[in-house]
Amino acid sequence: MIIHTNQEPTKPSRVLLLGATGFIGAVIQQQLESAAIPTVALGSADINLLEPSASDRLGELLSPDDSVVMLAALTPDKGRNIATLMKNLVMMQTVCEALEKSGCGHLVYFSSDAVYGTGVSQVTEDTPVAPEDLYGAMHYTREIMIRSLAAVPVIVFRPTGVYGRDDTHNSYGPNRFRKAAQADGKITLFGGGEETRDHIYVDDVAALTIRCLLQKSTGTLNVATGISTSFHEVAETISKQFGGGIEIIITPRANPITHRHYDPTNLIKAFPDFSFMPLVDGIALVHKESSMTA
Amino acid sequence: MTLPVIGFAGMSHLGLISAVAAAEKGFDTICYDPDSQQIAKLARNELTIVEPDLCELLEKNQSRIKFSADLQELTSCELVYIAVDVPTDDQAQSNLEPINSLVSQVDSNLGSDAVMVILSQVPPGFTREHVRNARQIYCQVETLIFGQAIARALNPERTIVGCAEPNKPLPQAFAQFLDSFGCQILPMRYESAELAKISINMCLVASVSVANTLAELCENIGADWSEIVPALKLDRRIGQYAYLAPGLGISGGNLERDLATVCNLADQNGTDAGVVRAWVANSHHRRDWVLRTLHRETLSKVDDPVITVLGLAYKQDTNSTKNSPSIALLENLTPFQVRVFDPVVPASAAPNPRCHAAESEYEACDGADVLVVMTPWTQFKHLDLQEVAKRMRDRVILDPYGVFQAKDCRDAGLSYHTLGVPAE
Repeated sequence: MIIHTNQEPTKPSRVLLLGATGFIGAVIQQQLESAAIPTVALGSADINLLEPSASDRLGELLSPDDSVVMLAALTPDKGRNIATLMKNLVMMQTVCEALEKSGCGHLVYFSSDAVYGTGVSQVTEDTPVAPEDLYGAMHYTREIMIRSLAAVPVIVFRPTGVYGRDDTHNSYGPNRFRKAAQADGKITLFGGGEETRDHIYVDDVAALTIRCLLQKSTGTLNVATGISTSFHEVAETISKQFGGGIEIIITPRANPITHRHYDPTNLIKAFPDFSFMPLVDGIALVHKESSMTA
Repeated sequence: MTLPVIGFAGMSHLGLISAVAAAEKGFDTICYDPDSQQIAKLARNELTIVEPDLCELLEKNQSRIKFSADLQELTSCELVYIAVDVPTDDQAQSNLEPINSLVSQVDSNLGSDAVMVILSQVPPGFTREHVRNARQIYCQVETLIFGQAIARALNPERTIVGCAEPNKPLPQAFAQFLDSFGCQILPMRYESAELAKISINMCLVASVSVANTLAELCENIGADWSEIVPALKLDRRIGQYAYLAPGLGISGGNLERDLATVCNLADQNGTDAGVVRAWVANSHHRRDWVLRTLHRETLSKVDDPVITVLGLAYKQDTNSTKNSPSIALLENLTPFQVRVFDPVVPASAAPNPRCHAAESEYEACDGADVLVVMTPWTQFKHLDLQEVAKRMRDRVILDPYGVFQAKDCRDAGLSYHTLGVPAE
């Protein structure tokens, strides 16, 4: 359940955005600027959270009224091993130490839906957490770390697969399919692409972040649309953007089919007038934007 | 043979209904409640609850019913029912303080031969804990259903009585009273009776959970649950009275209390209650069907939508809004314009700052983008859907309880959504 500390949306005095240069962070920064919310956008080039001095430097930057959005993490494409896990935990340790020293008014932590077990087909915020890999375990550990700071009001985001134009990751889904279609004229599926997943447009993720900042929301939120689509349908939708000439390749299935659906009830209760970009429209928009910049 | 005088301590919904039923069976009845204002209202036949036939029966049996806020009035009773409400917290846990206190007070005001019967919903073990001195104490299972309370109180399917010694005959006054209802009496040990009530509710919840799960599947795969139900009811193992109507989860408070009690007992005794917890999760999921559908069809599409809500009561034929799905929905619609009508409950019960109290169902529909039927009052069935459609701005109807016929909505040009059926 999400609790809004501010019943009426109120601009935070300032937002510190950690991980501002990433795929999602960049869009959040744009939307913060559009909303005229003072923002300090930090990437690893500004403060490397792995350095021993980072907590002091971050602590000096922070003021108790600040809101913090914590996106900084080494994503699975940077490594899925124990060393990456430990680095990610050190980064969070740095942030926690800085927050303990300086305090902050509100924190949005970007976790992941990897905290849930892959075998769970219907997910709510009450679904028991059961990470199956180091990445999921890392995010859940970070959730516990940040929540151990009793003085900081926290909302944890657990986003499903996020897609958008500037995605640098190459995870299985709309972004990879579009790039493959563009580069090779074909999309290769695992099996027949029967698995259903929830895909959310990056602007929607950013918009929800802004809403939570304005209302100083606390709790846990699965950031998902509530509509799941099979990978095969996603591939077909992308193919249509290219005029339908994209070859969709079905491969022998190596793993059992799993599905993932999100119950968006808590999100609707928190933001009843929020509307998501439909997947078909989002894919078309990404295609159009990519074509314009290509 | 002289009929015993029957006392009822606690003028709850259950207490009042049971007392009126006793009077209707010809027994002089004393109704006690410490709330003197409530007693004064009841004495004037001013009811705060709505049940079919209650008002008429109360008036008809006035000479046999005495309302009193004086505990000593119960001293003349040979049989006294404890019928106070057992409140629950938001975790569905019972607060037994009020009933504990009332039992003690009543006990000290009864004659030595008088029989005390716990009618309130209590957890297993409660009655035995209150066995003391020479007091003859029993518990009796009530199966009150809001909206059918009088009919069920007058014609119970059976009477379940919890006893210290089930093989011993019931005291004469108690037996005489129960015999007047003409149904089978099932004496059993206290704990069995207390758990029997919970067992009945567990069976109902199991059926409803099956219906809700499969109805949701129907909505997604093109099947129609209403076509399946008759086939199930003709199966003798399921039965014609099985609870198979899909709904918006479990509400009302009593079923939730029993689910919590079973989970607590299971946890204490190492019994697997996973299935019970699954029913609770399923109930929470289905409870928000209207909100999810409303968001999908209207809230995410229309700027500043106007929403008509017909019905505020927990269910039809009652004015109770405790755990009402309608009130729960409205709590989530505070940013929006809402037009509300209920035949009994005033619009002031709606927790919405932008709420318009409509004079009629039709006026409630004026300019609406979506019509949501949240209580299946019979009178809503007779609405002229052409007139409804004419008054609405957009043409979406959410009718979880199936008050309207899909075809009638379609003919009126309305987009119809109900439980267990794919959207039109």
